[in-house]
Amino acid sequence: MVGLSEGEKQFLRGGIEQNLRADGRTRNQFRPIYVETGVIPQANGSARVRLGATEVIASIKAELGKPSILHPDKGKVSIFVDCSPTAAPIYEGKGGEELSMELSVALERCLLGGKSGAGAAIDLSLLVLVEGKVCWDLYVDALVVSSDGNLLDSLAAAIKAALSNTGLPKVNVVLGASPEEQPEVDVSDEEFLQFDTSAVPVIVTLTKVGKQYIVDATSEEESQMSSAVSVSVNRNGQICGLTKRGGAGLDPSVIHDMVSVAKYVSQEFISVLDSEVAAAEASEE
Amino acid sequence: MAASTYSPSQGAERRQRQQQMRRLSIQSDWDRSDGRSFIQCRPAFLRTGAANAASGSAYAEFGTTKVIVSVFGPRESKKAMAYSDIGRLNCNVTFTTFATSVRGQGSDNKVYSAMLHKALEGAVMLETFPKTTVDVFALVLESGGSDLPVIISCASLALADAGIMMFDLVSSVSVSCIGKNILIDPTIEEEICQDGSLVLACMPARNEVTQLTLTGEWSLPKIDEAMGLCMDACVKLTGIMRTCLKESANLSS
Repeated sequence: MVGLSEGEKQFLRGGIEQNLRADGRTRNQFRPIYVETGVIPQANGSARVRLGATEVIASIKAELGKPSILHPDKGKVSIFVDCSPTAAPIYEGKGGEELSMELSVALERCLLGGKSGAGAAIDLSLLVLVEGKVCWDLYVDALVVSSDGNLLDSLAAAIKAALSNTGLPKVNVVLGASPEEQPEVDVSDEEFLQFDTSAVPVIVTLTKVGKQYIVDATSEEESQMSSAVSVSVNRNGQICGLTKRGGAGLDPSVIHDMVSVAKYVSQEFISVLDSEVAAAEASEE
Repeated sequence: MAASTYSPSQGAERRQRQQQMRRLSIQSDWDRSDGRSFIQCRPAFLRTGAANAASGSAYAEFGTTKVIVSVFGPRESKKAMAYSDIGRLNCNVTFTTFATSVRGQGSDNKVYSAMLHKALEGAVMLETFPKTTVDVFALVLESGGSDLPVIISCASLALADAGIMMFDLVSSVSVSCIGKNILIDPTIEEEICQDGSLVLACMPARNEVTQLTLTGEWSLPKIDEAMGLCMDACVKLTGIMRTCLKESANLSS
Protein backbone atom coordinates (compact mmCIF):
# COMPACT_ATOMS: atom_id res chain seq x y z
CA MET A 1 0.00 0.00 0.00
CA VAL A 2 1.34 3.39 -0.92
CA GLY A 3 1.69 5.75 2.02
CA LEU A 4 -1.04 8.27 2.73
CA SER A 5 -0.50 11.99 2.41
CA GLU A 6 -1.39 14.34 5.24
CA GLY A 7 -4.49 15.48 3.37
CA GLU A 8 -5.71 11.92 2.86
CA LYS A 9 -5.20 11.15 6.55
CA GLN A 10 -7.27 14.19 7.53
CA PHE A 11 -9.95 13.13 5.07
CA LEU A 12 -10.15 9.66 6.57
CA ARG A 13 -10.24 10.86 10.17
CA GLY A 14 -12.71 13.66 9.47
CA GLY A 15 -15.03 11.30 7.62
CA ILE A 16 -15.01 8.84 10.47
CA GLU A 17 -15.87 11.56 12.94
CA GLN A 18 -18.79 12.69 10.78
CA ASN A 19 -20.10 9.14 10.35
CA LEU A 20 -19.44 9.14 6.61
CA ARG A 21 -16.41 7.09 5.64
CA ALA A 22 -14.37 7.31 2.45
CA ASP A 23 -16.44 4.65 0.68
CA GLY A 24 -19.78 6.05 1.83
CA ARG A 25 -20.40 3.65 4.71
CA THR A 26 -21.44 4.67 8.20
CA ARG A 27 -19.31 3.67 11.17
CA ASN A 28 -21.30 0.52 11.91
CA GLN A 29 -21.66 -0.79 8.39
CA PHE A 30 -19.93 -3.83 6.95
CA ARG A 31 -18.80 -4.09 3.36
CA PRO A 32 -20.90 -6.41 1.18
CA ILE A 33 -19.92 -10.00 1.88
CA TYR A 34 -19.69 -12.73 -0.75
CA VAL A 35 -19.50 -16.40 0.25
CA GLU A 36 -18.76 -19.45 -1.85
CA THR A 37 -18.58 -22.94 -0.35
CA GLY A 38 -17.07 -26.20 -1.52
CA VAL A 39 -14.21 -24.52 -3.38
CA ILE A 40 -11.60 -27.15 -2.48
CA PRO A 41 -12.69 -30.64 -3.51
CA GLN A 42 -9.85 -32.37 -1.63
CA ALA A 43 -10.87 -30.95 1.72
CA ASN A 44 -13.73 -32.13 3.92
CA GLY A 45 -15.11 -28.59 3.92
CA SER A 46 -14.06 -25.29 2.47
CA ALA A 47 -15.26 -21.78 1.82
CA ARG A 48 -14.13 -18.60 0.15
CA VAL A 49 -15.20 -15.27 1.59
CA ARG A 50 -14.81 -11.84 0.04
CA LEU A 51 -15.36 -8.78 2.20
CA GLY A 52 -14.79 -5.81 -0.07
CA ALA A 53 -11.29 -6.38 -1.46
CA THR A 54 -10.22 -8.73 1.34
CA GLU A 55 -10.38 -12.33 0.16
CA VAL A 56 -9.71 -15.40 2.28
CA ILE A 57 -10.08 -19.13 1.75
CA ALA A 58 -10.64 -21.58 4.61
CA SER A 59 -10.33 -25.33 4.31
CA ILE A 60 -11.06 -28.02 6.86
CA LYS A 61 -9.45 -31.41 6.70
CA ALA A 62 -10.30 -34.20 9.10
CA GLU A 63 -7.88 -36.97 9.82
CA LEU A 64 -8.08 -39.87 12.23
CA GLY A 65 -5.79 -39.55 15.17
CA LYS A 66 -5.30 -40.37 18.82
CA PRO A 67 -6.76 -38.09 21.52
CA SER A 68 -4.32 -36.43 23.91
CA ILE A 69 -3.70 -38.14 27.24
CA LEU A 70 -4.99 -35.11 29.15
CA HIS A 71 -8.35 -35.11 27.34
CA PRO A 72 -9.17 -38.61 26.14
CA ASP A 73 -12.81 -37.75 25.56
CA LYS A 74 -12.17 -34.88 23.20
CA GLY A 75 -11.07 -34.57 19.61
CA LYS A 76 -8.50 -32.03 18.50
CA VAL A 77 -8.82 -28.88 16.43
CA SER A 78 -5.89 -26.82 15.25
CA ILE A 79 -6.17 -23.54 13.40
CA PHE A 80 -3.45 -22.27 11.14
CA VAL A 81 -3.48 -19.08 9.08
CA ASP A 82 -1.13 -18.49 6.19
CA CYS A 83 -0.62 -15.04 4.72
CA SER A 84 0.23 -15.57 1.09
CA PRO A 85 2.68 -13.23 -0.69
CA THR A 86 -0.04 -12.57 -3.26
CA ALA A 87 -1.72 -10.45 -0.61
CA ALA A 88 1.31 -8.27 0.02
CA PRO A 89 4.95 -8.78 -1.01
CA ILE A 90 6.03 -8.27 2.59
CA TYR A 91 4.45 -11.62 3.48
CA GLU A 92 7.04 -13.61 1.56
CA GLY A 93 9.04 -16.11 3.58
CA LYS A 94 9.23 -15.10 7.23
CA GLY A 95 7.62 -11.71 6.78
CA GLY A 96 4.09 -12.91 7.22
CA GLU A 97 4.93 -15.22 10.12
CA GLU A 98 4.16 -12.73 12.89
CA LEU A 99 0.83 -11.72 11.42
CA SER A 100 -0.10 -15.35 10.73
CA MET A 101 0.63 -16.31 14.30
CA GLU A 102 -1.32 -13.37 15.72
CA LEU A 103 -4.34 -14.27 13.58
CA SER A 104 -4.10 -18.01 14.40
CA VAL A 105 -3.92 -17.33 18.13
CA ALA A 106 -6.84 -14.90 18.02
CA LEU A 107 -8.96 -17.39 16.03
CA GLU A 108 -8.09 -20.26 18.36
CA ARG A 109 -9.01 -18.14 21.35
CA CYS A 110 -12.38 -17.20 19.90
CA LEU A 111 -13.35 -20.55 18.45
CA LEU A 112 -12.02 -23.05 20.95
CA GLY A 113 -13.43 -21.56 24.15
CA GLY A 114 -12.15 -22.11 27.67
CA LYS A 115 -9.82 -24.93 28.66
CA SER A 116 -12.71 -27.07 29.87
CA GLY A 117 -14.37 -26.67 26.50
CA ALA A 118 -17.13 -24.32 27.58
CA GLY A 119 -18.18 -21.79 25.00
CA ALA A 120 -16.42 -23.61 22.19
CA ALA A 121 -17.68 -23.26 18.66
CA ILE A 122 -17.25 -26.93 17.94
CA ASP A 123 -18.16 -29.46 20.59
CA LEU A 124 -14.95 -31.46 20.80
CA SER A 125 -16.64 -34.45 22.40
CA LEU A 126 -18.51 -34.98 19.12
CA LEU A 127 -15.20 -35.68 17.43
CA VAL A 128 -14.35 -38.70 19.56
CA LEU A 129 -14.92 -42.14 18.04
CA VAL A 130 -13.40 -44.43 20.66
CA GLU A 131 -12.55 -42.76 23.94
CA GLY A 132 -8.83 -42.68 24.51
CA LYS A 133 -7.99 -44.36 21.24
CA VAL A 134 -9.47 -42.86 18.08
CA CYS A 135 -10.68 -39.36 17.42
CA TRP A 136 -10.98 -36.89 14.61
CA ASP A 137 -8.23 -34.31 14.24
CA LEU A 138 -9.64 -31.23 12.54
CA TYR A 139 -7.11 -29.11 10.73
CA VAL A 140 -8.51 -25.69 9.91
CA ASP A 141 -6.23 -23.99 7.39
CA ALA A 142 -6.95 -20.48 6.26
CA LEU A 143 -5.23 -18.64 3.46
CA VAL A 144 -5.22 -14.88 3.00
CA VAL A 145 -5.32 -14.26 -0.72
CA SER A 146 -5.88 -10.54 -0.79
CA SER A 147 -5.71 -8.13 2.09
CA ASP A 148 -7.63 -4.88 2.36
CA GLY A 149 -8.10 -4.69 6.10
CA ASN A 150 -10.23 -6.60 8.59
CA LEU A 151 -8.56 -9.96 8.09
CA LEU A 152 -9.76 -11.42 11.37
CA ASP A 153 -13.46 -10.93 10.69
CA SER A 154 -13.22 -12.42 7.19
CA LEU A 155 -11.22 -15.39 8.47
CA ALA A 156 -13.79 -16.12 11.17
CA ALA A 157 -16.61 -15.84 8.62
CA ALA A 158 -14.76 -18.17 6.22
CA ILE A 159 -14.19 -20.73 8.97
CA LYS A 160 -17.86 -20.58 9.93
CA ALA A 161 -18.89 -21.11 6.31
CA ALA A 162 -16.36 -23.92 5.85
CA LEU A 163 -17.63 -25.67 8.99
CA SER A 164 -21.18 -25.66 7.71
CA ASN A 165 -19.86 -27.14 4.47
CA THR A 166 -17.87 -29.84 6.28
CA GLY A 167 -18.93 -33.44 6.10
CA LEU A 168 -17.20 -35.95 8.33
CA PRO A 169 -17.32 -39.44 6.84
CA LYS A 170 -19.08 -42.05 8.93
CA VAL A 171 -16.62 -44.43 10.52
CA ASN A 172 -17.29 -48.01 11.57
CA VAL A 173 -15.05 -48.95 14.47
CA VAL A 174 -14.29 -52.55 15.31
CA LEU A 175 -12.79 -52.82 18.77
CA GLY A 176 -9.87 -55.14 19.12
CA ALA A 177 -10.02 -58.28 21.25
CA SER A 178 -7.99 -56.80 24.15
CA PRO A 179 -8.16 -53.18 25.43
CA GLU A 180 -4.55 -52.51 24.40
CA GLU A 181 -5.07 -53.33 20.74
CA GLN A 182 -5.74 -50.52 18.26
CA PRO A 183 -9.32 -50.69 16.96
CA GLU A 184 -9.90 -51.28 13.30
CA VAL A 185 -11.49 -48.36 11.51
CA ASP A 186 -13.46 -48.45 8.33
CA VAL A 187 -14.02 -45.04 6.81
CA SER A 188 -17.15 -44.92 4.74
CA ASP A 189 -17.23 -43.07 1.43
CA GLU A 190 -20.95 -42.71 1.27
CA GLU A 191 -22.41 -41.29 4.44
CA PHE A 192 -21.38 -37.99 5.92
CA LEU A 193 -22.11 -36.21 9.19
CA GLN A 194 -22.71 -32.49 9.04
CA PHE A 195 -21.76 -30.00 11.73
CA ASP A 196 -24.27 -27.86 13.52
CA THR A 197 -22.77 -24.41 13.12
CA SER A 198 -25.41 -22.39 14.92
CA ALA A 199 -23.10 -22.13 17.92
CA VAL A 200 -20.11 -20.91 15.90
CA PRO A 201 -19.39 -17.27 16.76
CA VAL A 202 -18.40 -14.47 14.41
CA ILE A 203 -15.69 -11.94 15.13
CA VAL A 204 -16.33 -8.21 14.90
CA THR A 205 -13.28 -5.97 14.99
CA LEU A 206 -13.77 -2.42 16.18
CA THR A 207 -10.99 -0.08 15.15
CA LYS A 208 -10.51 3.08 17.14
CA VAL A 209 -9.55 6.09 15.05
CA GLY A 210 -9.44 9.29 17.03
CA LYS A 211 -12.39 9.17 19.44
CA GLN A 212 -14.68 7.02 17.29
CA TYR A 213 -14.79 3.32 16.55
CA ILE A 214 -15.50 1.84 13.13
CA VAL A 215 -16.53 -1.61 12.06
CA ASP A 216 -14.82 -3.42 9.16
CA ALA A 217 -11.91 -1.08 8.52
CA THR A 218 -10.11 -1.02 5.18
CA SER A 219 -6.33 -1.15 5.25
CA GLU A 220 -6.14 2.64 4.81
CA GLU A 221 -8.36 3.17 7.82
CA GLU A 222 -6.35 0.57 9.76
CA SER A 223 -3.16 2.53 9.15
CA GLN A 224 -4.71 5.41 11.09
CA MET A 225 -5.85 3.34 14.04
CA SER A 226 -4.61 3.80 17.57
CA SER A 227 -5.94 0.47 18.79
CA ALA A 228 -8.53 -2.16 17.96
CA VAL A 229 -10.65 -4.64 19.87
CA SER A 230 -11.77 -7.87 18.23
CA VAL A 231 -14.85 -9.33 19.90
CA SER A 232 -16.25 -12.75 19.16
CA VAL A 233 -20.02 -12.96 19.64
CA ASN A 234 -22.31 -15.91 19.11
CA ARG A 235 -25.95 -15.96 18.16
CA ASN A 236 -27.14 -15.76 21.78
CA GLY A 237 -25.27 -12.52 22.33
CA GLN A 238 -22.64 -14.15 24.53
CA ILE A 239 -19.08 -12.93 24.21
CA CYS A 240 -16.95 -15.93 23.27
CA GLY A 241 -13.57 -14.25 23.10
CA LEU A 242 -11.92 -10.88 23.04
CA THR A 243 -8.52 -9.69 21.91
CA LYS A 244 -7.22 -6.19 22.19
CA ARG A 245 -4.86 -5.32 19.36
CA GLY A 246 -2.73 -2.33 18.64
CA GLY A 247 -0.27 -0.49 20.81
CA ALA A 248 -2.13 2.32 22.52
CA GLY A 249 -3.82 1.85 25.88
CA LEU A 250 -7.60 2.03 26.27
CA ASP A 251 -9.74 3.24 29.11
CA PRO A 252 -11.88 0.42 30.61
CA SER A 253 -15.10 2.36 29.98
CA VAL A 254 -14.12 2.68 26.31
CA ILE A 255 -13.60 -1.08 26.14
CA HIS A 256 -17.03 -1.64 27.69
CA ASP A 257 -18.57 0.65 25.10
CA MET A 258 -16.75 -1.07 22.24
CA VAL A 259 -17.91 -4.49 23.43
CA SER A 260 -21.56 -3.40 23.54
CA VAL A 261 -21.29 -1.85 20.05
CA ALA A 262 -19.72 -5.09 18.80
CA LYS A 263 -22.53 -7.11 20.37
CA TYR A 264 -25.13 -4.95 18.66
CA VAL A 265 -23.46 -5.00 15.25
CA SER A 266 -22.72 -8.72 15.34
CA GLN A 267 -26.36 -9.78 15.43
CA GLU A 268 -27.00 -8.27 12.01
CA PHE A 269 -23.72 -9.61 10.66
CA ILE A 270 -24.58 -13.13 11.82
CA SER A 271 -27.94 -13.07 10.03
CA VAL A 272 -26.38 -11.68 6.82
CA LEU A 273 -23.62 -14.30 6.95
CA ASP A 274 -26.04 -17.14 7.64
CA SER A 275 -28.23 -16.22 4.69
CA GLU A 276 -25.19 -15.89 2.41
CA VAL A 277 -23.88 -19.29 3.50
CA ALA A 278 -27.28 -20.89 2.97
CA ALA A 279 -27.46 -19.35 -0.51
CA ALA A 280 -23.94 -20.59 -1.31
CA GLU A 281 -24.74 -24.11 -0.15
CA ALA A 282 -27.96 -24.12 -2.16
CA SER A 283 -26.25 -22.91 -5.33
CA GLU A 284 -23.52 -25.51 -4.87
CA GLU A 285 -26.09 -28.26 -5.13
CA MET B 1 7.76 -56.69 32.43
CA ALA B 2 8.85 -53.13 31.88
CA ALA B 3 9.95 -51.12 34.92
CA SER B 4 7.36 -48.64 36.15
CA THR B 5 8.22 -44.99 35.63
CA TYR B 6 8.23 -42.14 38.08
CA SER B 7 6.06 -39.87 35.95
CA PRO B 8 3.05 -38.18 37.54
CA SER B 9 -0.26 -39.78 36.74
CA GLN B 10 -1.98 -38.36 33.72
CA GLY B 11 -4.68 -40.91 33.36
CA ALA B 12 -7.75 -41.94 35.26
CA GLU B 13 -6.61 -40.68 38.64
CA ARG B 14 -6.07 -37.14 37.48
CA ARG B 15 -9.31 -37.02 35.57
CA GLN B 16 -11.16 -38.20 38.63
CA ARG B 17 -9.62 -35.40 40.65
CA GLN B 18 -10.58 -32.88 37.99
CA GLN B 19 -14.13 -34.17 37.83
CA GLN B 20 -14.36 -33.91 41.60
CA MET B 21 -13.12 -30.34 41.38
CA ARG B 22 -15.71 -29.50 38.75
CA ARG B 23 -18.49 -30.93 40.89
CA LEU B 24 -17.27 -28.86 43.85
CA SER B 25 -17.03 -25.73 41.75
CA ILE B 26 -20.68 -25.87 40.75
CA GLN B 27 -21.55 -25.12 44.36
CA SER B 28 -21.32 -21.49 45.35
CA ASP B 29 -18.90 -21.75 48.20
CA TRP B 30 -15.92 -23.99 48.29
CA ASP B 31 -12.34 -23.59 49.39
CA ARG B 32 -9.59 -23.17 46.89
CA SER B 33 -6.71 -25.60 47.23
CA ASP B 34 -4.46 -23.04 48.94
CA GLY B 35 -7.12 -21.63 51.24
CA ARG B 36 -7.67 -18.34 49.43
CA SER B 37 -11.06 -16.78 48.82
CA PHE B 38 -12.24 -16.17 45.27
CA ILE B 39 -11.02 -12.59 45.21
CA GLN B 40 -7.73 -13.12 46.97
CA CYS B 41 -4.49 -13.06 45.00
CA ARG B 42 -1.44 -15.07 45.88
CA PRO B 43 1.24 -13.27 47.93
CA ALA B 44 3.72 -11.59 45.58
CA PHE B 45 7.49 -11.69 46.07
CA LEU B 46 9.42 -9.31 43.82
CA ARG B 47 13.11 -8.49 43.71
CA THR B 48 15.15 -6.46 41.28
CA GLY B 49 18.80 -6.98 40.40
CA ALA B 50 18.52 -10.74 40.02
CA ALA B 51 20.94 -10.96 37.06
CA ASN B 52 24.17 -8.97 37.33
CA ALA B 53 25.13 -9.00 33.66
CA ALA B 54 21.92 -7.36 32.52
CA SER B 55 21.08 -3.65 32.40
CA GLY B 56 18.10 -4.45 34.56
CA SER B 57 16.47 -7.56 35.87
CA ALA B 58 13.74 -8.78 38.18
CA TYR B 59 12.64 -11.98 39.84
CA ALA B 60 9.01 -12.66 40.69
CA GLU B 61 7.48 -15.45 42.73
CA PHE B 62 3.68 -15.64 42.92
CA GLY B 63 2.86 -18.83 44.78
CA THR B 64 4.39 -21.59 42.67
CA THR B 65 4.91 -19.43 39.56
CA LYS B 66 8.52 -18.29 39.39
CA VAL B 67 9.78 -16.00 36.65
CA ILE B 68 13.06 -14.18 36.06
CA VAL B 69 13.34 -11.39 33.49
CA SER B 70 16.49 -9.69 32.17
CA VAL B 71 16.56 -6.50 30.16
CA PHE B 72 19.50 -5.68 27.90
CA GLY B 73 19.78 -2.31 26.26
CA PRO B 74 19.34 0.08 24.71
CA ARG B 75 21.94 -1.49 22.48
CA GLU B 76 22.69 -2.08 18.84
CA SER B 77 20.33 -4.66 17.40
CA LYS B 78 21.78 -7.87 15.99
CA LYS B 79 19.52 -7.84 12.95
CA ALA B 80 20.63 -5.07 10.62
CA MET B 81 17.61 -2.84 10.61
CA ALA B 82 16.86 0.18 8.52
CA TYR B 83 17.18 3.52 10.29
CA SER B 84 14.20 4.26 12.47
CA ASP B 85 13.68 7.32 14.63
CA ILE B 86 12.00 5.26 17.33
CA GLY B 87 13.52 2.39 19.28
CA ARG B 88 12.58 -1.26 19.05
CA LEU B 89 11.36 -3.54 21.78
CA ASN B 90 12.24 -7.20 21.38
CA CYS B 91 10.57 -9.67 23.74
CA ASN B 92 11.40 -13.31 24.19
CA VAL B 93 9.75 -15.75 26.59
CA THR B 94 11.17 -19.21 27.21
CA PHE B 95 10.08 -21.96 29.53
CA THR B 96 12.72 -24.11 31.16
CA THR B 97 12.24 -27.78 30.44
CA PHE B 98 11.54 -28.43 34.12
CA ALA B 99 8.96 -25.65 34.44
CA THR B 100 5.93 -27.85 33.86
CA SER B 101 4.94 -31.21 35.30
CA VAL B 102 5.57 -32.87 31.94
CA ARG B 103 9.10 -32.19 30.70
CA GLY B 104 9.30 -29.70 27.87
CA GLN B 105 5.58 -29.04 27.79
CA GLY B 106 5.70 -25.23 27.76
CA SER B 107 5.81 -24.58 24.07
CA ASP B 108 3.80 -21.35 23.93
CA ASN B 109 7.02 -19.36 23.51
CA LYS B 110 6.18 -17.44 20.37
CA VAL B 111 2.64 -16.72 21.49
CA TYR B 112 3.71 -15.50 24.92
CA SER B 113 6.52 -13.42 23.41
CA ALA B 114 4.05 -11.66 21.13
CA MET B 115 1.63 -11.06 23.98
CA LEU B 116 4.37 -9.71 26.23
CA HIS B 117 5.40 -7.35 23.46
CA LYS B 118 1.84 -6.13 23.03
CA ALA B 119 1.43 -5.52 26.74
CA LEU B 120 4.65 -3.52 27.07
CA GLU B 121 4.74 -1.53 23.83
CA GLY B 122 2.00 0.82 25.00
CA ALA B 123 3.99 1.73 28.09
CA VAL B 124 7.56 2.09 26.83
CA MET B 125 8.57 5.46 25.38
CA LEU B 126 10.23 4.21 22.23
CA GLU B 127 11.24 7.72 21.12
CA THR B 128 13.79 7.95 23.93
CA PHE B 129 16.11 5.35 22.39
CA PRO B 130 16.07 5.80 18.60
CA LYS B 131 18.09 3.50 16.35
CA THR B 132 18.62 1.02 19.21
CA THR B 133 16.87 -2.04 20.59
CA VAL B 134 15.85 -3.01 24.07
CA ASP B 135 15.79 -6.80 24.56
CA VAL B 136 13.54 -8.32 27.19
CA PHE B 137 14.27 -11.96 27.98
CA ALA B 138 11.84 -13.75 30.26
CA LEU B 139 12.55 -17.19 31.66
CA VAL B 140 9.83 -19.15 33.41
CA LEU B 141 11.46 -21.31 36.06
CA GLU B 142 8.26 -22.84 37.33
CA SER B 143 4.82 -22.62 35.78
CA GLY B 144 2.24 -22.64 38.55
CA GLY B 145 -0.70 -20.93 36.91
CA SER B 146 -1.41 -17.39 35.74
CA ASP B 147 1.96 -17.37 33.94
CA LEU B 148 1.51 -14.55 31.46
CA PRO B 149 0.41 -11.92 34.01
CA VAL B 150 3.40 -12.72 36.21
CA ILE B 151 5.72 -12.48 33.19
CA ILE B 152 4.28 -9.09 32.21
CA SER B 153 4.51 -7.61 35.71
CA CYS B 154 8.04 -8.93 36.22
CA ALA B 155 9.16 -7.63 32.80
CA SER B 156 7.84 -4.17 33.55
CA LEU B 157 9.72 -4.19 36.85
CA ALA B 158 12.91 -5.24 35.04
CA LEU B 159 12.47 -2.43 32.50
CA ALA B 160 12.13 0.05 35.35
CA ASP B 161 15.24 -1.41 36.97
CA ALA B 162 17.12 -0.92 33.68
CA GLY B 163 16.12 2.73 33.57
CA ILE B 164 14.09 2.51 30.35
CA MET B 165 11.66 5.43 30.21
CA MET B 166 8.05 4.36 30.53
CA PHE B 167 4.70 6.11 30.96
CA ASP B 168 3.88 3.93 33.93
CA LEU B 169 4.54 0.48 35.35
CA VAL B 170 2.49 -2.23 33.68
CA SER B 171 0.89 -4.74 36.00
CA SER B 172 -1.20 -7.67 34.96
CA VAL B 173 -3.72 -9.97 36.59
CA SER B 174 -5.83 -12.80 35.27
CA VAL B 175 -9.14 -14.25 36.39
CA SER B 176 -10.58 -17.66 35.76
CA CYS B 177 -14.25 -18.42 35.36
CA ILE B 178 -15.36 -21.78 36.74
CA GLY B 179 -19.10 -22.36 36.64
CA LYS B 180 -20.68 -19.18 38.01
CA ASN B 181 -17.65 -18.16 40.05
CA ILE B 182 -14.89 -15.77 39.10
CA LEU B 183 -11.55 -16.65 40.68
CA ILE B 184 -8.70 -14.20 40.63
CA ASP B 185 -5.07 -15.31 40.09
CA PRO B 186 -5.79 -18.98 39.31
CA THR B 187 -3.38 -21.80 40.06
CA ILE B 188 -2.61 -24.38 37.42
CA GLU B 189 -5.20 -26.90 38.70
CA GLU B 190 -7.87 -24.20 38.51
CA GLU B 191 -6.74 -23.18 35.03
CA ILE B 192 -7.02 -26.68 33.62
CA CYS B 193 -10.73 -26.97 34.42
CA GLN B 194 -11.67 -23.34 33.79
CA ASP B 195 -14.62 -22.38 31.62
CA GLY B 196 -13.13 -19.09 30.57
CA SER B 197 -10.33 -16.72 31.38
CA LEU B 198 -9.61 -13.01 31.22
CA VAL B 199 -6.07 -11.64 31.20
CA LEU B 200 -5.71 -7.91 31.70
CA ALA B 201 -2.59 -5.75 31.65
CA CYS B 202 -2.91 -2.09 32.54
CA MET B 203 -1.14 1.09 33.51
CA PRO B 204 -2.94 2.13 36.71
CA ALA B 205 -1.73 5.72 36.87
CA ARG B 206 -3.13 6.41 33.42
CA ASN B 207 -6.13 4.12 33.95
CA GLU B 208 -5.40 2.52 30.58
CA VAL B 209 -5.65 -1.10 29.56
CA THR B 210 -2.67 -2.14 27.42
CA GLN B 211 -3.77 -5.70 26.83
CA LEU B 212 -6.97 -7.65 27.26
CA THR B 213 -7.69 -11.19 26.15
CA LEU B 214 -10.74 -13.25 26.91
CA THR B 215 -11.60 -16.89 26.27
CA GLY B 216 -14.75 -18.85 27.00
CA GLU B 217 -18.32 -17.63 27.15
CA TRP B 218 -19.01 -14.33 28.95
CA SER B 219 -21.89 -11.95 29.30
CA LEU B 220 -21.29 -8.22 29.31
CA PRO B 221 -21.99 -7.66 33.06
CA LYS B 222 -19.63 -10.53 33.89
CA ILE B 223 -16.89 -8.93 31.80
CA ASP B 224 -17.41 -5.66 33.68
CA GLU B 225 -17.17 -7.42 37.03
CA ALA B 226 -14.02 -9.29 36.05
CA MET B 227 -12.38 -6.18 34.60
CA GLY B 228 -13.20 -4.21 37.75
CA LEU B 229 -11.60 -6.92 39.89
CA CYS B 230 -8.50 -7.03 37.71
CA MET B 231 -8.03 -3.24 37.58
CA ASP B 232 -8.27 -3.03 41.36
CA ALA B 233 -5.79 -5.85 41.83
CA CYS B 234 -3.45 -4.22 39.28
CA VAL B 235 -3.45 -0.95 41.23
CA LYS B 236 -2.42 -2.78 44.38
CA LEU B 237 0.20 -4.83 42.54
CA THR B 238 1.72 -1.65 41.08
CA GLY B 239 1.98 -0.33 44.64
CA ILE B 240 3.95 -3.42 45.63
CA MET B 241 6.21 -3.04 42.56
CA ARG B 242 6.91 0.59 43.43
CA THR B 243 7.82 -0.34 47.02
CA CYS B 244 10.21 -2.97 45.68
CA LEU B 245 11.92 -0.41 43.40
CA LYS B 246 12.22 2.13 46.20
CA GLU B 247 13.74 -0.48 48.51
CA SER B 248 16.38 -1.47 45.98
CA ALA B 249 17.15 2.21 45.32
CA ASN B 250 17.60 2.78 49.06
CA LEU B 251 19.85 -0.26 49.37
CA SER B 252 22.16 0.86 46.58
CA SER B 253 22.49 4.45 47.82
